[in-house]
Amino acid sequence: MFFAQVAPDSIVTPDIAWTALVPHLVLAGGAILMLMVWSLAGRWLPRWLPSMVTAAVGLGAAIGSIHLWRRVTDADRGPFSAVADSVGIDGFSVFLTVVISLTVVFAALLADGYLRRERLDGPEYHVLLLLSAAGGVTMATANDLIVLFLGLEILSLAVYVLAGYHNRRAQSQEAAIKYFVLGAFSSAFLLYGIALTYGATGSTNLVDINAYLRSTVLVDDGLLLAGFALLLVGLGFKVSAVPFHTWTPDVYQGSPTPVVAFMASGVKAAGFAALLRVFVVTFGTYADDWKPILYALAVATLLVGAILAVVQNDVKRMLAYSSISHAGFMLIGVHAASADGTASVLYYLAVYSVLVIGSFAVVGVVSGTGDGATTVGDFAGLGARRPWLAFAFTVFLLAQAGVPLTTGFFAKFYAITAAVDGRSWALAIVAMLSAVIAAYLYLRIMIAMWLEGSDDDAPIRVPVGTVVVLGVAAAFTIGFGIFPEPIVDLARDATPALVNSP
Amino acid sequence: MLGQYLPILALGVLAVLFAAVSFVASKLLAPRRPTSAKAAPYECGIVPTKEAPERFPVRFFLVAMIFIVFDIEIIFIYPWATIFEGLGLYGLVAMLIFAFAVFESFVYLVGNGALDWGPLKKQVPRTR
Amino acid sequence: MEELVWLIPALPLLGFVLLVLGGRRLGEPGAGYLATTMVAGSFIATVLVFVGLLGKDAEERLFEQTLFEWIPAGDFSVDVGFLADPLSITMALFITGISSLIHLYAIAYMHGDKDFSKFFVYMNLFVFSMLMLVLGDNLLITFLGWEGVGTCSYLLISFWFTDEANATAGKKAFVTNRVGDWGFMVATLLAFFTFGSINYGEMFSGADGMATSTATAITLLLLVGAAGKSAQFPLYLWLPDAMAGPTPVSALIHAATMVTGGVYLLTRVNPIIAEASSVAPDVIAWIGLFTALFAASIAVAQADIKKVLAYSTVSQLGFMFVAVGSGVYVAAIFHMVTHAFFKALLFLGAGSVIHGMDDEQDMEYYGGLRKFMPITAATMVVGWLAIAGVPPFSGFWSKDEILLGAYENNVVAWVLLLIAAILTAFYMSRLIFLTFFGERRWSDGDPEAHAAADEPVADDGARSFHPHEPSPLMWVPLVVLAGLALLGGLLNLPFTGDTKILEQWLEPSLFGNEHIATSGAAGKWTLAIMSIVAAVIGVIGAAAVYIRRRVDKSVVEQPILQDAWMVDDTVTSFMGGPGRKSFELVSWFDRTVIDGAVNGTAAVVRHGGLVLRRLQTGFVRSYAVGVGGGAVALLVYFLFRTTF
Repeated sequence: MFFAQVAPDSIVTPDIAWTALVPHLVLAGGAILMLMVWSLAGRWLPRWLPSMVTAAVGLGAAIGSIHLWRRVTDADRGPFSAVADSVGIDGFSVFLTVVISLTVVFAALLADGYLRRERLDGPEYHVLLLLSAAGGVTMATANDLIVLFLGLEILSLAVYVLAGYHNRRAQSQEAAIKYFVLGAFSSAFLLYGIALTYGATGSTNLVDINAYLRSTVLVDDGLLLAGFALLLVGLGFKVSAVPFHTWTPDVYQGSPTPVVAFMASGVKAAGFAALLRVFVVTFGTYADDWKPILYALAVATLLVGAILAVVQNDVKRMLAYSSISHAGFMLIGVHAASADGTASVLYYLAVYSVLVIGSFAVVGVVSGTGDGATTVGDFAGLGARRPWLAFAFTVFLLAQAGVPLTTGFFAKFYAITAAVDGRSWALAIVAMLSAVIAAYLYLRIMIAMWLEGSDDDAPIRVPVGTVVVLGVAAAFTIGFGIFPEPIVDLARDATPALVNSP
Repeated sequence: MLGQYLPILALGVLAVLFAAVSFVASKLLAPRRPTSAKAAPYECGIVPTKEAPERFPVRFFLVAMIFIVFDIEIIFIYPWATIFEGLGLYGLVAMLIFAFAVFESFVYLVGNGALDWGPLKKQVPRTR
Repeated sequence: MEELVWLIPALPLLGFVLLVLGGRRLGEPGAGYLATTMVAGSFIATVLVFVGLLGKDAEERLFEQTLFEWIPAGDFSVDVGFLADPLSITMALFITGISSLIHLYAIAYMHGDKDFSKFFVYMNLFVFSMLMLVLGDNLLITFLGWEGVGTCSYLLISFWFTDEANATAGKKAFVTNRVGDWGFMVATLLAFFTFGSINYGEMFSGADGMATSTATAITLLLLVGAAGKSAQFPLYLWLPDAMAGPTPVSALIHAATMVTGGVYLLTRVNPIIAEASSVAPDVIAWIGLFTALFAASIAVAQADIKKVLAYSTVSQLGFMFVAVGSGVYVAAIFHMVTHAFFKALLFLGAGSVIHGMDDEQDMEYYGGLRKFMPITAATMVVGWLAIAGVPPFSGFWSKDEILLGAYENNVVAWVLLLIAAILTAFYMSRLIFLTFFGERRWSDGDPEAHAAADEPVADDGARSFHPHEPSPLMWVPLVVLAGLALLGGLLNLPFTGDTKILEQWLEPSLFGNEHIATSGAAGKWTLAIMSIVAAVIGVIGAAAVYIRRRVDKSVVEQPILQDAWMVDDTVTSFMGGPGRKSFELVSWFDRTVIDGAVNGTAAVVRHGGLVLRRLQTGFVRSYAVGVGGGAVALLVYFLFRTTF
């Protein structure tokens, strides 16, 4: 009775559309192969090779996404789903796949000099980086809540380890354990939310859920709404929305700087991908129910992030809080629950990723051996010591402050426009207020760099990989700040779609 | 509909109450006559007289990791084995990929010297 | 030739880029000359565009040049484009002209500074931003320039940042300006949602018949922005502190150009103000009026020569706001131009004095300097007469226009403005008398000189001063500016329609929104005489106080001053007693309440941050409580939304 056999031939095995999975396969396969090669032959390979290989793999994943982009933006073919409808490929997911893949390239280039300086080099960092990126891409392309959760866990577990990668630094260990405990806690909420949603709708497939909610009026929506609440907790934690943000400053401060760069860009992109796809796209018919909560989250995130950033003295913590307030801007776009709102989040993610990676690249080299010198005072006189480094940082900080002629300006502009379009005037004003408060913080760092002297004349070594990252990021920030059209168009074309291929 | 969850709620409340009541009751009712032996971290057994014996070599930890690697593999292989005919080639390929990925971690452990035995040979990470 | 308009901002930008790349290698004075050449080239380009516009009929004097499409966002699109019309070219002309002179001056002034080339990097960037501000053909480009000049201003105020006070002053300017910027940003958004465009031309063609409430809102928000940039009450307080920067910066940014940005902006959007309810222009006028009086009264009690000029600038900007609020835009622009001439002159003159007096800025240490710095003294006297409103100097004509406009708008406003004019004449005279006239209150280290002069010497025996005329590089700009301050009135003489050159010239930019004076000739003459009387009262009052009180009997014992004796006594006792008290009260109010409010806001943020920070304990358990608490809150919320 208990062991009643299911007739073996009743199992339908899915087709694997390998071409749709190119980015996933490149990232995960790259990680596994890399681990294999370095386990067997690591001692004979040069030290710079892992980061180059990782960068190449990340780039490969991005390039591998191009054919998908062509396919989904082609009017005749359009978005499609694969692997038994568990993976959805649309403009939205391809855009974010490319963003996440490129953050891997940057994080790998940054890591090269950092890991060698800290004597931590080896393939492990890069393998974990690629695996977490694979998880992130899985999240971005998830068409099913279970796959979403799977991607989240792949992403998170790798990042937990990366947070503690600096094994001689107590703060790094602390960051890892905090991130892990709280992350596991929030994952439980997410999983419970998925279960409740399944209970309410009878499916974990996003397309089916959406169709069910469209066609059916729930007499009793308590289960579904409880599911919303728990899903929001889990995803809010990943994007560090207040009040689920508490881990962010501690983890950002303690983790190795290149890891933080990835956390603030790639991980955040994956989190927002899930938030947008689940709430805006799938639960769109219930927007009236969840929008007020996102409103409250956005306001709290904008204000708490900006206000707490002002009282910090550690640059990494400042940037952590400022990343919280940036998340608030993106939440505005989510709250708008419109095509323009989604596009504004995508644009914000793309440009903010570059900004934050550039910022942490500077922090990573200034922090010096041991990765500890990150107070504002440690940046004093940087303008005199390394003018180009200080210049690059200034560009990133100005862009984060939303100064025109930088990409950051348009990011904030589109977010606020989305709020105004949705008649959320108060939200737009809170956002501007937050930008004004946060401007002070960026100014403080700039003052320290350019206007304060320092007796510290220890040389700051800027490794080649970091130079490349800084150059590309600064050129991106200014270039697309003056000519924003290409990225804006891409973000607008990257529309999410819910389809189950026949 | 939520009404059917009422028993669960009641149970939860009872559990919390029971914990709280016993905690408070022990605070209120128990006599308190501390001695140094009672105040020791473990109020039972033999009073420790010296430091715990020397630490285990970390190598045991790595061996334990190898065990876990295969442990997990077995956990997945077992249910697959019960229906592998139904899953056919698809299941086989999926399992092979899974087995490869797990084996990979074994290779990594070995590459890191998990099986290099002997007291004198030092654990050398590949950092140079 | 108006196609050359792109060249106007391009040249300073080129200078900026060149100096960033090779400024350090060029060193001193090469970097300075390069910067000056670029700005002078920009001036020439402006003149060419000006000539080009002159060659056209009045109604065709509007040239728009689009460089490229900048922000394409659906129905929202912004071009990078320039608008060359009489208003913007007037602004560009005096900006580039005065900038060239000040750059030249700065070459000598910044001599020996270790960051010589950096200074000119900022200066060229500033000129570029300022030109973007005035030449931009839409609100966003203007805003871009607006932010740019703010940043440069901040960088230049704290140029000598090793002094804590300078760095603080820079921060103060930045923070105060952000408040204004916020108004500008919201106004821009509102304008876009109203007109569907932020291009000036498209906005103005849609302005006709727009909702009064929207127009009022946009005007008031822009006023917040303008008040921040143009240092109007209560956002003026950064400007006096901004004097911490090098004097050429004070002259260029904080007197002649940047601070007039707000007046320019309000003048530019005159079609929107015209649609707004009458409250909006009234608010502009009253804010300007209050600022004019308030700042003038403070200027009377300042000892630092640059502080006097700073408050004077605030006060004069108040005059311009009154003009805008009264609808006499031409008078506002006219006064802006003449003010740029004479205030730049006064600042540069003050710089020359400070330079000669070993960086001493306290007028208590000056006195009798005219013998030692004749050129500086003579040029500053011209500036003084101009700002005091003595005919035929330029300031008289422009101020008279504003007074006329104010009179026709509201008689009370006119009376109050007249009082401000008296105060202006008074404090400027005081400055001139204390600096160039009277006895020497400084020592040149030669005890016999004092014995011979039988004068009390400021008890500062350790310091000796050797005032001297600066190098020609510094006094040539002074002389040129003095000429302009003297003759600037020719731009718009009020006698007949034909002599009102500026009014005719600006007409196409004002869309008939200029208030045309209705008073008859007799009324105008009366007003003009009243304003002359005001100037004279101010000057005489100051002379009575400062020259009479400070010995030098041969001068004092002239009949005219003997007559003024009584006045002297009264004024002195008033100044020493309740008057001084009241001025000190104003000064105290400034320090305590206004500064307090700004610092208080910062303190609230900071304090809030500190309180919130306590929640960030570092313990995982408390974080988990945060997450769990948030989850409970969300669940409770959704529970209330369920339909069971």
